[in-house]
Formats: sequence, structure tokens, C-alpha cells
Amino acid sequence: MAAGPATAVLALRGVRVAGRGRPRLEDVNLSLAPGERVALLGASGAGKSTLLAVANGLLAPAAGTVLWEGQPPARSRRGRRRQQARIGTLWQDLRLIEELTVQQNLNAARLARWGWPRALLNLLLPLDTDACAAALRAMDLDPALLEQPVTALSGGQRQRVAMARLLRQEPTLLLADEPLASLDPRLAGELLALLLAQAVAPRALLLSLHRPDLLDGFDRAVGLRDGRVLFDGPVGQVSEALLADLYGGTPPGVAP
Amino acid sequence: MLLPALVLVPLAVLLPPLVHGGGWELIGSFALAAVTPSLDPVVLASLVKGLGVTVGMALLGWAGSLVLGLLLGACSSRTVWRTLTGSTMPAELIRRLLALPRAIHELIWGLLLLQLVGLQPAVAVLAIALPFGALVARVLSDLLDALPTTGLEALRAAGAPAPAALLTALGPALLPGVLSYGGYRLECALRSATLLGVFGLGGLGTDLKLTLQSLEFHELWSGLWLLLAVMLALEAGISLLRRRWLVPGRFVLARRGVGERSREMLLALAALVPLCVLVGRALGVDPAALLNWQPLPGLGGGDWAATWALPWPRLVGGTLLLTALAACLAVGLAPLLLLLVAPVGWARQGLRLLWALGRLWPPPLTALLLLFVLEPGVITAALALGFHNLGVLGRLLLESADATDPAAEEALDCGGSGPRLALLYGRFSALARPYLAYGAYRADVILRESVVVGLVGATGLGSQLLESLSSFAWDQLLALVAAYALLTLAGEDLSDRARHRWLRAG
Repeated sequence: MAAGPATAVLALRGVRVAGRGRPRLEDVNLSLAPGERVALLGASGAGKSTLLAVANGLLAPAAGTVLWEGQPPARSRRGRRRQQARIGTLWQDLRLIEELTVQQNLNAARLARWGWPRALLNLLLPLDTDACAAALRAMDLDPALLEQPVTALSGGQRQRVAMARLLRQEPTLLLADEPLASLDPRLAGELLALLLAQAVAPRALLLSLHRPDLLDGFDRAVGLRDGRVLFDGPVGQVSEALLADLYGGTPPGVAP
Repeated sequence: MLLPALVLVPLAVLLPPLVHGGGWELIGSFALAAVTPSLDPVVLASLVKGLGVTVGMALLGWAGSLVLGLLLGACSSRTVWRTLTGSTMPAELIRRLLALPRAIHELIWGLLLLQLVGLQPAVAVLAIALPFGALVARVLSDLLDALPTTGLEALRAAGAPAPAALLTALGPALLPGVLSYGGYRLECALRSATLLGVFGLGGLGTDLKLTLQSLEFHELWSGLWLLLAVMLALEAGISLLRRRWLVPGRFVLARRGVGERSREMLLALAALVPLCVLVGRALGVDPAALLNWQPLPGLGGGDWAATWALPWPRLVGGTLLLTALAACLAVGLAPLLLLLVAPVGWARQGLRLLWALGRLWPPPLTALLLLFVLEPGVITAALALGFHNLGVLGRLLLESADATDPAAEEALDCGGSGPRLALLYGRFSALARPYLAYGAYRADVILRESVVVGLVGATGLGSQLLESLSSFAWDQLLALVAAYALLTLAGEDLSDRARHRWLRAG
């Protein structure tokens, strides 16, 4: 482990998630230090999505603890929201709000800090144009796109807008569930590089990946099989034998 | 799609014996008066004043129903409750409760309120606002719950508070539906306000009825043409706004920035508030006066035996028969007429005008007119109700026929099939399912509306209800309203199922 649990951006200890038949996660221990970039490997159904759902707080584990920046899930609503605001998730289906413009979508990431009066204003006026433009530029997008409705964008542009929205949220923990699955290899490489560039201390990145060939920019890899951590170590140690173990050992036909 | 028109066959058989032949000259002079409306300034001034009252009542009732509907709609949405509290139970409960005000026609509301608080402008406004509000709430919550929630979940996961997340994720998606349905409701409100006037709640409807009863056909037509002009202007205005605000954003990129559309709409809404206050002032609507309830005559010690002794099976049967006849007439005649006039270009315009007249004409007035030559009864009532709904359905059919792709029809026409068959195969075949589905919904509306032709129905719940109302028999009235509500709810359920079936099979 690179860092102690007190300073870890995310720490899972002995996490177990029940499922039908066998548990979806069993005794998972994982810790992300600030600035760390971790790739999550594993075949479909190995538990990658479940682990990410636990990591962003959508799924409460049946056993074990989850700590964000050393804190367990907050009790109060307000405290919980503040905690969630620091966890940014890049969804596989992006989850942009189709009726809104790029700028309104970017600002939607600020809602946790804004409350509803400014949320209402966001629907009527262009707010925080400079910050939104900066987020777009960081994702290699032309700020002129701000006024476009997101439905008018291409697939690659939408992906970048979703990533820019993630930046606007200013999270310390970046989570992404196979964000590159539906993209062509060149674009996938470009977007991954952009995402990795954003994961600098105090931020940490946990990204589930289907393709071991994209591992280069990561510090660490974590391999899951049948809901258990099979491997946790530097990317350099990921071997052909390990990959065969991760991807070959799953019985066919198991749904993710 | 044409099958419902088969109802014409039994009607053709049953109609002749009903004709008593007394008033053909009256009908003739009525028809002639259409082209020679009275232009007397005194008459016109009084009609314009009445029209103003009707439009004002419609506007206020509509605005009230929107406010009510938006609030109640949010309250009865499962998505909203799930996001706020995690449970959908309250939504289900409120949904059930709202079924009651919805099931009762605005006329019954109006007459009940009239008995309760006396004649005042606020009665008509409230009579429109209450059932319409419940209707808007239902449509709105259905729309809300049908929206995809992934965007909402993403915002919530990023820590957005529930109200802000709901507003941002679902608000913009909901807007087109609200606008489109809200506009349609304003048209309905105008029709309802006229109808309420026919039953003495003031405005142009009252004038129309009086002129008809005193056989002043020229003055009657002046009023009708005025009303037609207002209605067509309203419909055109609404469709203009719809087009301006609802065209997908990508086509208007160059001209409009972030939220400009929303700002325009908000401005329009903001302008509506002082307008409503002014109209309320002008009409003399006094909310405080609504609190002065008249003492209820004889409530409590009702004569339930007499209520029970009403001929219930005959009443319910009459209402259902009336509904079925009117629905078949309206649903079947619209495409049939359109087919018949297909070869003649200008006839389509004539049909459009006829339908506009049908829409604007309160069914009880048609019924009164029919009474000049027909005996009172279910068929007379069904004709009146059918004509009105033909106007509504016909417009819908024509609009959707114009909106479908003409390619198939052109191909058939070029193949020498003749214009009628080309229309039938080329366009109607594509429209049949949605049209029938809408027809099912319309049958539902007709059931609710059957009360308004109670004057001449003579057999249905509606006429019994009007009778009980005029004799202050509260016990009977309550039972009848309850029966109506039950029937409407059952009908709603049935038409929902039919609609799902037809739309799914498509």
C-alpha cells in the first residue's frame, strides 16, 4: 500500500456485497492514496461495477467499511451531500441531461454546492462562463461549444463534455466504469490520457478497464475475479499469466 | 377505422320516427341566418361583453388549473417522492384521491358550486379550475414518471440536493409536454366556459342560449361567429407559440443562447399573473365571497329510500348507450367525411369550418336546435354530443394526416387508385392505431360529458342529475354524482387498457 488509511482518498476494508448465489464482492481491501491512478481489471461479472458502486456510495456493503478521506458515510443529509460532491463518477452512459446546453450540463455538477435558487438560474442564464470554458479547454474542446445543446454534439465530444462536467465538480476521487468501452482505439487512448492528466494529488483515480493494453499511464492495477481481489500491485507486474488467470477463469455466460 | 361509422345504419333506421316535423322552417331560418348575422351595434356590444366574460372566465379557470395541476402533478409523481423521501406511497395515495375531482365534469362542479355559494363569477372559474387541475396533474405526473432518470441519478450521486436535481434533470424535459398540453387545456377551457354560460353561469353562453330560445337566430349567429373568430385565433396563437418554443434546439442554434427560450416562457408566465389579476378585477371575482356558503337544504336527513328507488339500471344503461352512440358517431364520421370530400380540394376547407363550428358549439345548444325537429331522447342527445366531438376528432385527424408522409399516398394516386382509396390506404392505414387510441380516450371524455346533454337525454344519469339538482334533492344528487364518478373511473380504466393495447400492437 502506498499510503496509510488516514490519508487515503478511498479505503475499503473487508467489504462484502451479497448477491444471488455467491457474493458479488467478498473481503475486498483497497486503498487509494492522493495522486494515485489505479486500473481495475477483470472479466465481465467479476465485480468491477459493484466495487465502483460501493466506492461512490450508491451501494452500501453488507459487511466491511468504506472510508472517504478517512471518513465513514456521513449521517446528516448535508454532510452526506458534501461527501458525495467530492466523489466524481464518469458513467458509462455519460448521463448528460439531453435537453440542456453544454454549459448548463457543466454547471449541473455544481448543484451540490449551489442549492435550488442558482439551479433555477442556471436554466435561465449562462452562469460561470469562464470556469466552464476552462473545463472544456482542459478536455481539448472549443469553448464555443458552450452554447450548443448536448444533442448536437458528436459521440467523442459528448464523452469529453461528460469528463469536463466531472472536472467542474472538483472531486477528490475520480471513478469511471469502463468509460472507453464503446470508443475506437485511438480516441480511447486520447481520452484516457486526458483523464489521467487530471488525476494529480490530492486527486485519485479508479477506473475499470476491459483492455489491458491501455495500462501504461496507471500506477497500480487491481485484478478482480469472482468478487475477490486476485492481484494488487504495480502495473509493471501485470503478466500474461495473470491476465489469463483473470479473464480465462470465468465460466462463460456470467452476466456483469 | 371506419367500422364505428356502421352506427349510422341503426341511426338511419331509428331517426325517421323521431322526426316530428314541427320546426323545419325554424331550422331553415336558422341556417339562413348564418349568412345574415345581426350587425346591430347594441347587439354586438352586448355579445362582445359576454364574450369578454367568457374568455375571462376561461383564462382564470385555466390559469388556476395550471397552478393546481403543476403542484398536484409534482405531488402525485412517483419519481418526485422517490427522490425526496425514498418511498412512492404518498404519490399513489394522492393519485387515487385526485381521481374523484377528475371524474366529475366541470358542469356538475359548476352547478354544485352554484347551489353552494350562489351565482358569482368565481363559480365558473373554480368549476373549470378544479377538474382541469386534477386532469393536468394526472397528465403531468404520467409525463414525469415516464422520463428517464439516469441524469437525475447522476446528479444525486454527485451530491446535488433533491429539489435542485429534480429541477435541472427533469424540468427541461418536462417543459414541452407541459406547454403542449397546457395550450390544449386553454382551448378546452374556452369551450367549457361557453358551456357553463349555457347553464346560466354568465358570459356568452348565456346570451347564446337566450337568443336561441327567443328564436333570434341573427343575433345567435353574430355571437357564434364572434366566438369562432376568438377560438380560431386562440388555436392559431397556441400553435404558433408551440412551434416557436418546442422546435428542437439544434435548428435554432445560431440565433438563441443559453436559456433564452426559458426566459421567454418565464416572461410570458410573469405577464400572465397581472393579466389574471386585471381580468379577475374586471369580472368582479371575489374569492372572499366563496366562503359565504348558503345553508344546505335538508342535508343529513336524506330520503335514501327514494334515492335507492331511482331506476338505476335504466339510468346507467341510458348513459352508456348515449356514450357509445356519440363516440361511434364522432370516431367513425371524421375519417368517412374526409374520404368523401377527398376528391374536392375546397371541400376540405368546408369540412374544417364545419368541425370548427362543432368544436365551439356547446352540445346542449345543438340539442336544443335538434329539438325543433326531433323528439327528445337518447338519439337526439347522442347526435348533439357526437357533433361536438366530431369537431375535436376531425381536427386531430386532419392535422395528423397533414403531418404524415405523403409519399405513400402519392404513389397510390399515381397508380390510378383514385384519390379516396389513395387517402385510405396511403395515410389512414398509418394513422389508424393512434387515431383509434385517441378515440378510446375521447369515449372516456364523452362519458363524462354526457351530463351536458341531460336536458334532452331523458333517460340517462345526466338528465336525472339535472332534475335532482333543480329540486334540491341532495341525497339523490350525491348518489348520482357518485355513480357518475364510478362510471367515469371504470371507463377511464377501460379506455386506458384499450389504448395501451392498440398502441402496443402498433
